[in-house]
Amino acid sequence: MKKIRITNKTFVLTAAIGTFIIMLTVVILTVVSSRRTIRATEDAVYSVSSFYLDAMADRRAKTIMNLIKNNFELLEKSLGFYEDEEIKDQDELRHTIGKIKSLMSLSRYALVDEDNLVYTQYTTYTGGTRHEFLSADVLKDKVISTVYLYGSSKQLCLAIPTENLKIMGKRFKAVFVQIDIKDIVDLLAFDDQGRTSFAIYSKNGENLSGTELGPVVSTHNILDTVKKYISGEEWDKFHDGFMKEVQGSLSFTADGAGETLCFVPIEGTGWEMVVLIRESVIQDRILGISQRNLSSSRAQIIYILAAMLIFAGILLLEIRIIAKKRIEAEQENTNAFKSMANTDALTGIRNKHAYADTEAGLDRMIKDGELAELAVLVCDINGLKYVNDNFGHAAGDKLIKDASALICEVFKHGSVFRIGGDEFAVLLQGRGYETREETIAEFNRRVEENLTKNEVVVSLGYSLLGEKDTRVHDAFERADQMMYVRKQELKSMGAKTRE
Amino acid sequence: MSQGKEKKHIRAAATVLSCALLVLSGILIPGCTDKGGPGKNEPILSGAPAPNTDDAREAVNFHHNLDGYVPKRDHYNFYFTYKTVHSWWDAVALGMEDAQRQFLEKGVVVTYEYMAPLQASAADQKERLLAAQKEDYDVIGVDVADEDVISPLLDEMIASGRKVMTFSSSDAADDCKRIAYVGNTHNYEDGAELTEALCKKLDYKGKVAILVGSVGAPCHEDRANGAKDVIAKYKDMTIVATEYDMDSVDLAYDLTKTILMNNPDLDGIICCNMSNPVGAARAITEAKSDAVIVGMDHDKEALRYLADGVIYCLGVQDCYSIGFDTLQVAVKIADGNLPGELFPEKTVEITTIIYQEDAAFIFELLYGDIG
Repeated sequence: MKKIRITNKTFVLTAAIGTFIIMLTVVILTVVSSRRTIRATEDAVYSVSSFYLDAMADRRAKTIMNLIKNNFELLEKSLGFYEDEEIKDQDELRHTIGKIKSLMSLSRYALVDEDNLVYTQYTTYTGGTRHEFLSADVLKDKVISTVYLYGSSKQLCLAIPTENLKIMGKRFKAVFVQIDIKDIVDLLAFDDQGRTSFAIYSKNGENLSGTELGPVVSTHNILDTVKKYISGEEWDKFHDGFMKEVQGSLSFTADGAGETLCFVPIEGTGWEMVVLIRESVIQDRILGISQRNLSSSRAQIIYILAAMLIFAGILLLEIRIIAKKRIEAEQENTNAFKSMANTDALTGIRNKHAYADTEAGLDRMIKDGELAELAVLVCDINGLKYVNDNFGHAAGDKLIKDASALICEVFKHGSVFRIGGDEFAVLLQGRGYETREETIAEFNRRVEENLTKNEVVVSLGYSLLGEKDTRVHDAFERADQMMYVRKQELKSMGAKTRE
Repeated sequence: MSQGKEKKHIRAAATVLSCALLVLSGILIPGCTDKGGPGKNEPILSGAPAPNTDDAREAVNFHHNLDGYVPKRDHYNFYFTYKTVHSWWDAVALGMEDAQRQFLEKGVVVTYEYMAPLQASAADQKERLLAAQKEDYDVIGVDVADEDVISPLLDEMIASGRKVMTFSSSDAADDCKRIAYVGNTHNYEDGAELTEALCKKLDYKGKVAILVGSVGAPCHEDRANGAKDVIAKYKDMTIVATEYDMDSVDLAYDLTKTILMNNPDLDGIICCNMSNPVGAARAITEAKSDAVIVGMDHDKEALRYLADGVIYCLGVQDCYSIGFDTLQVAVKIADGNLPGELFPEKTVEITTIIYQEDAAFIFELLYGDIG
C-alpha cells in the first residue's frame, strides 16, 4: 500500500476543505430549514386565515342578523304607538310616523293600508309595484326582501303584518322599514388595516353592498368573476354553496396572487356575506418575517464563517509555529547526535566517521567533475606505543592531544580528522590548498624542532588529487605511502617509532 | 365634429333659444299658457331635432342639486296623480324623493301624495282630481291619462284658483291653462325616431304593426302618431295593425300573437309604451318570428330582450330627472311663481335611444347587476 506523505500543504488543504464542507453543510441546512419553515408557515397561514376569515364573515353576518332582529322588534314596538294615539287625519299620521322614526332611529319607516297605499313621514303613495312584498294579497308573516331601486341602489326591506290596526277608519296591513345597504356596510366596517375586504352578495352573485372584494372580484358579480380562475367542479361547488345558502370557502389564484374567501349565509335574507383576504397580504407579512429570519441566519452564517476562518487561521498558525519549533528542536537533537557521532571525544576534532562522510561527499563531486583542487595529508604520531607502554595511557593521550593541536594550529585552513589511534588526515581546499607548500614545510620544521625538544613528533605525507583519481582514497594511499617514508626519515633523525 | 356631437349642439342651441323665448313670453304676458316649442302634433321630420341624446351614459342623471331658488315657506303639501301604478312612475317617484330630501336639508318640509289607479283610467283620474281640489294642496300635479277628458277639468281647477301642473309622460291639451309641464315634451318625436330606426333596419320596406298603450293617453298617442307619419313617408312600408294594450304586458303579448297569426310575414313592431315591448318580445320569441321590435322605456325584461337582440332599440326616458324637476317646479308654483325666469313652461327632459350594445350598461345603471 502506497503511503500518503502528509505535508504542510496537505494539512492546510485538508483544513480548508474541511472548513468549507462544514460551512456548506451549515448553509444548506439553514436554507433547507428556512424553506421548510416557510412552507409550514404557509400551510399554517392558510388554515389560520380560513379560520380567521370564517370568524370575520360569521361576525359580520351575525351583525346583520342582529340588525334585522332589532328592527323587527322595533317594528313590533312601533305598533303600540298607534294604539295610544288618536290619529284623525293624514297630517297626524305623518307626525306620528315621524315621531316613531325619530324615537327608534329608523331610516325609512312606513305603514301600508289595505289598498297598498304606503304612508311615510312625508309622502303617501301607491306602492304596489314599488315594494315586492305588497304583491301578496295577505301578509301572513315577517318578510325580509331586497329592494332594487331604480338607480341601482339597494335596500333591505323588513315588513311585519299588522293585525287589527285601524287608523283613520282604514285597516292597515303592514308596517315596514327599508335600510340602505350602504348604512349596513357602515355598521360592518371595522379597521383591520385593509387586510381583508368584504361584500354582501345575492344568491346570483350580485354585489349588493357596493364594496370592493379585493382588486380582482372588485364590485363585479362574484360567480361570474371567479369562474375564470377555478375549475368547473370548484365553481359548481361554490355556486351550489351560494344557491343553497351554506357556509364555505374558496381559494384561487388571480393575476399571480392567491385569494382566499369565506362565505356565510345571512339567515332569512338570501344574502351571502363574503370576506376575502389576499394571501399575498399574509404571505408578504410572513415573507417579511422569513426574510428577516433569513437575513439573520445569513448574518449568523457569515459571522460563524468568519469566526471559523479566523479560528482555523489562528489554529493553523499555532500548529505551524508548534511544528516549526518541534522541527527545530528535532534538528537541534539531530545536529547534536550528528556532532557527537562525528567528533573525536579526546581531541575534539572530527573523527573517522566524519572523514568517511566528507570523503563520500568529495567522491560524488569528483564523479560529477565538480572538484578540481584537493590536497590529502596523512599524519601519524611517532612513538605513541612507546609512550603508552612506558608512561601510561594518560601520557599517550596527551601526546595525541599535542599532535592534534599542532596539526590544527598549522593547518588552520584545512579540515582535520582523527582517523585512527595515532593517525590523522587533513583535507586542504581553497586557501588551505593554495598555501599547502608553506604550511607543510612549516609543519615539518615544527616537528623537527620538537624532535630536539623531545616533544610530539608527527610524520606527514601528502598527495594532490590527480586527474586520473576517481576518489579521494586514491590520493590518500599516495599520501600514506609518503607518510611512511617520512616516518623512516624521522626515525633516522632519532624519533621514536613502534618498532 | 361627429354627427352625435353636432346633433347635441343643435339641440342645446334649440333648448336655449326656446327657454329664452319662454322667458320673454313670461315677462311680456304673465300667465301665458302658450306652450312654445314644437307643437305636439307637428312632425319633426322637417323641424328641429328632438332633445334626445345618443349617449347611453347620459340617459339618466341621478345626480341633481336644487337650484338657487329660496322657497318662501317652510312647508308645502302637494298632490300628484299619474296614469297607473307602474314601475316607470316608481322611478319618477325616486327623483321626487331626492328633491324632497334636499328641501328638508334646507329646512323646507315638502309632503305629498303620489297616487294612481291599478288600471289607467281617465274617469278614475278625474275623480281623484275632483277629490284633491277639495283638499288644501298647494299644487296639484297630473300625468294626464286622457287629454280630452282631463284638460277641461284642469282649466276649471285653474279657474277656481287651484295651482295645477302636469308632469312625467303626458301633458294636457295645447290650449289647457295648467301652469307648467315637467316631463317628456317630445313623445311624437320619440315615436318618429324609433320608427326611423326600424325603417332603416328593414331597409325601408315591409309590414309593421303599432302597439299603443292606453287609449287617449297623450304620450302613447303622440308616439303612435310619430310612428305613423314616418311610415307614411316610405312607399314600401305598410302598417298592418294598430292595437292598444292598456298598459298591460299580458294584453301586449296576446295582441302581438294575434297580429303574428294574421300577418306571419310581419317585419316589425313599433311599441309606444313600457308594457308594449315586453309583451311583443315574449310573443315574437315564442313564435320564433324575425320581426324587429322597437319600443319605449326601461323595463328590466325589455332590457334583457334588448341585450339578447330580440328588441332592436329602446327609447329610455330620464324618469329620475323628471321626478326631481317636478318637485322643484311645484315648490316654485306653490309660491305663486309662473313660468318665466325661474322655470320654463315646459321643462324638457331627454329620451335616449339605446341599442343592444348599450343594454348591459343601462341595466347596471338602472338596476345594478341583478342577473
